[in-house]
Amino acid sequence: MHFNRIIFIGLGLGLAFSSLKGQQTSYSDGEMAFIPGGNYFPFFSGKEDQEKVDPFYIDRFPVTNREFETFLADHPQWSKKNIKSLFADAGYLKHWKQDSGFESDITMSPVVFVSWFAAQKYCECMGKRLPTTTEWELVAEAGKTRPDGRNEEGFTRLILGMASKPNPATHPEVGKTLLNYYGVWDMHGLIWEWTYDFNSALGTGGSRSDSNAENTLFCGGGSGKAKDVDDYAAFLRHALRSSLKANYTVSNVGFRCAKDADKP
Amino acid sequence: MKTRTFLAILIILALFTSCKNKTETGSCCKTGDHAAIEKSTEISDQSVFLLDSEWENYRDEKKILSDYQGKVIVGAMIFTHCPSACPRLVADLKIIESLLTEDERSKVRFLLISMDPERDTPEQMRKFATDHRLNESWEMIRSDKASTMEIANVLGVRIKPLKDGGFDHSNVIQILNPEGEIVFQQQGLNNNPEESLEQIRMLL
Repeated sequence: MHFNRIIFIGLGLGLAFSSLKGQQTSYSDGEMAFIPGGNYFPFFSGKEDQEKVDPFYIDRFPVTNREFETFLADHPQWSKKNIKSLFADAGYLKHWKQDSGFESDITMSPVVFVSWFAAQKYCECMGKRLPTTTEWELVAEAGKTRPDGRNEEGFTRLILGMASKPNPATHPEVGKTLLNYYGVWDMHGLIWEWTYDFNSALGTGGSRSDSNAENTLFCGGGSGKAKDVDDYAAFLRHALRSSLKANYTVSNVGFRCAKDADKP
Repeated sequence: MKTRTFLAILIILALFTSCKNKTETGSCCKTGDHAAIEKSTEISDQSVFLLDSEWENYRDEKKILSDYQGKVIVGAMIFTHCPSACPRLVADLKIIESLLTEDERSKVRFLLISMDPERDTPEQMRKFATDHRLNESWEMIRSDKASTMEIANVLGVRIKPLKDGGFDHSNVIQILNPEGEIVFQQQGLNNNPEESLEQIRMLL
């Protein structure tokens, strides 16, 4: 009897907790946020091109310098000194000190000057993976209060404002720009981020079947086909991805990790 | 009996903690840290042989990339269901092959890497090799999806999966020296083979 009551109280607490979470419209739990999946419409295409996204988890913050340093302690072959040039260009961790470590004021800033290979390896070693471009964009289109931020007043303007700000000499700490509906920070306005399949953004010719999407995109004629002119920031991200190579290290490109979730 | 149970629990605990430690230090990483291969032979910092992914060819043999050490590699990423671009790419490689002397040909490996590991089974690759009359200087290999993504990124090949199962992709002829370093890349189709030939001959 007594035992049953404890279970009952426990259940009640659990329900209260989950309803509270529901109220805050945040699915976040610990370091990763749960994204229920859904349909994503690439900005450069019509409705027929929607992509179904399975539920997944994504890091609530970009990976910081401190976290990356911890990773390097276990994997010295990815350190600034030992990294193979096949996996990163000469700018790898350029913002760190000559040998190792970094100035203490960037401890909690996002790690940048990392190649796709290094980002990929980091996530893999954490039992995670890089998010796909579709997953990343799905999270990025969330507003503060709803999964589709484009209908939220001022949201697009806010993002465009953030995207057009010049890069500071050092990046500020993570968790200061924008907390979205899913409980995910810094999708806009802090850094650009690697995605697993960034190399599927074909910027140049050589595209075979639906090449018109890409060609018109870069010829400018594609804007008529874009579903929403407010997606200018997504245009920028697409252009960036199509210009990156996996060994590049860039002053404002970092990453965060994702993980599969069981299908409901 | 009790001691036995206790011992069993102890062993299970020990196993559990050791695995947990591994995860913490990250040595449970799925792919290797490229350290094993590196030690056995001197591989340069820029060599694709640093990748330790596992492959299989159309002769049903297991391969790693460093198996192709020692010959100049002339290669491309393709997929066998590809309707137009890949046959052109293979044709371009065959033109290069035809312009080499027999002696030169013996020092060159033509390597086709599948960007479609799911459909390019050894059997399917074998069929492609027959259809395109690939001789013994040629090789076609496939791996898993993650390793395919990795090599595409190393070779700078952009791949966009399409809904019909195919791919949009950049067409690149890759020329690697016998140490596995990328020496020359030619973008596009139907290019004049002269420049590739010159690059290959410089390596022989």
